[in-house]
Amino acid sequence: MANNEMTARGEWGVMRRHPRAADLALAAAVLLPLAVALPRLGWPDNDAGDWLAWTGRATGILGLAMLLLAAATSIRVPGWDRPFGGLARLWRLHHGLGFGAFVLLMVHALSLALAAVPLGLPVAVEVLFPPFSRGAIWLGWLAWLMMVIFLAPSFGFFGRPRYQAWKRLHLVSAVALLLALAHALPLAGEAWPWWLLGMSGLAAIAWRKLGSRRARLAYRIDTVKPLARGVVELVLAPVGRRLVHEPGQFVYLTPLDEALAAGRGEEHPYTITSAPADERLRIGIKDLGDASHALQSVSTGSMAQVEGPYGDFFGRHPPGRHRLWFGGGIGITPFVGGARDLMARGSVDGQVLLIYLANRGERAYYLDELESIAERLAGFSVVVHYYLERGALDVAFLVEHCPDFAGREIHLCGPPAMNAHLMRLLAGQGVPRSCIHSEVLDFL
Amino acid sequence: MNTVAYTAFIAFLSSVLTLVSVNALSSPDAAAPDDPEIITREELGRHDSADSCWKAIHGTVYDVTGFIADHPTPAAVMIEWCGRDASEAWDNKRPGRPHSSFAEGMLERFRVGRLVD
Repeated sequence: MANNEMTARGEWGVMRRHPRAADLALAAAVLLPLAVALPRLGWPDNDAGDWLAWTGRATGILGLAMLLLAAATSIRVPGWDRPFGGLARLWRLHHGLGFGAFVLLMVHALSLALAAVPLGLPVAVEVLFPPFSRGAIWLGWLAWLMMVIFLAPSFGFFGRPRYQAWKRLHLVSAVALLLALAHALPLAGEAWPWWLLGMSGLAAIAWRKLGSRRARLAYRIDTVKPLARGVVELVLAPVGRRLVHEPGQFVYLTPLDEALAAGRGEEHPYTITSAPADERLRIGIKDLGDASHALQSVSTGSMAQVEGPYGDFFGRHPPGRHRLWFGGGIGITPFVGGARDLMARGSVDGQVLLIYLANRGERAYYLDELESIAERLAGFSVVVHYYLERGALDVAFLVEHCPDFAGREIHLCGPPAMNAHLMRLLAGQGVPRSCIHSEVLDFL
Repeated sequence: MNTVAYTAFIAFLSSVLTLVSVNALSSPDAAAPDDPEIITREELGRHDSADSCWKAIHGTVYDVTGFIADHPTPAAVMIEWCGRDASEAWDNKRPGRPHSSFAEGMLERFRVGRLVD
């Protein structure tokens, strides 16, 4: 599993046939202001101008609701992400809501202006740019400008900024939110839905910036264990309360070592490789950027803060069902946590086969330990696939080592190209999407 | 998603700029009648019902009969001002807040003449 700095980090995203209750609640919240306003808005006549004016109002309402809920879904509280399928998925929803808001709010302004074209171009232009006495409209423009400023990096308008710069710029969203509310409240017929959604969005931002630091736990870095070139496992001991987690979840780690060349005091997400029963917290870290590079030589005995756990890696699946795990690169880390957990429990529910995909032997870190667990634990086995020896993993390899793969619950985690290849391969063999759990996260 | 967002952004900017440019380059509205029909208060007063509803707003008379059903406020509120000078109602959509420029443009469609004493 990859780590940090806007790079790939796999997470179980359970694809279900039925929508989650949390998703339905979110959809209801998006539609609430429009549902409340519909009796007032009515339904447009067959006249194109009426349709445009109606569309302008409806998209304004929907767009603002999405903007406020995008803020609300940016929240990061341990455990709150799981009803949404993990933090990665929750933030994908957040990203989608932000995208929807941006597009809909532009449709909103343009539709209202175009609806006035039959009344004359000066009227249409005045709808967009009225006298300054109609301040609410100008607040709307300012809110849109703020959205452009903080969303442009997220949507890569002008390339991607550094992670920390992007985070700081994203704070402009709070200003956009306030301006959008100030635009809508004087013009809206119904105020209470906006107060409700607005307060939830602002509370989420306030928690992220002011409250979440209190949720961090203090840890001391005991050991830095080199696994391969550019890959280490940090072993941390709690100083006070220890983190309670499930296998395969991840944490935000903030190292405080003053000798660090980069990333001191910066939080980045890393996968937990220890079993939940382990008193120590173990984290697998690959050198993928400045901060993770510096962590390769972090001082033992230095302090770090840990926030989490997040993610819903292994989710919930039918008991007794056999599982097939595909791990590649640093994407092996959640499976290390999973295997260590099975070992700690001493039994396996059903059978678990881990296929470890690596380029060559030197890059198959954790393999010795995983094979050792497989030798001692009935029901758990490991197979290695070296890309440089056999090329990309194919159906023949799969059938040879796991003939019943199509009937198993499949988890995969690795570099995006590996995930995409395996998804294609499995889909081609008729494996239902609902049995494949994988998600690549690139903006945690 | 990124491509769609960027495309929407550019499309929006282009559309707004086009609208503003075309408006700036257009000649002043020649369709406005130079010599509007003269309407007395007596005649205005005869159109005081839902069947024929004229209103005077800042010296101009409008026939809004066909719009009563479409107006967002209840018909009774609209009808109350039929046959009268409704400038006060126009300027106070909500207390202290006039109708929008959008509504102002829409009103032009219903103009029938100029009010004289």
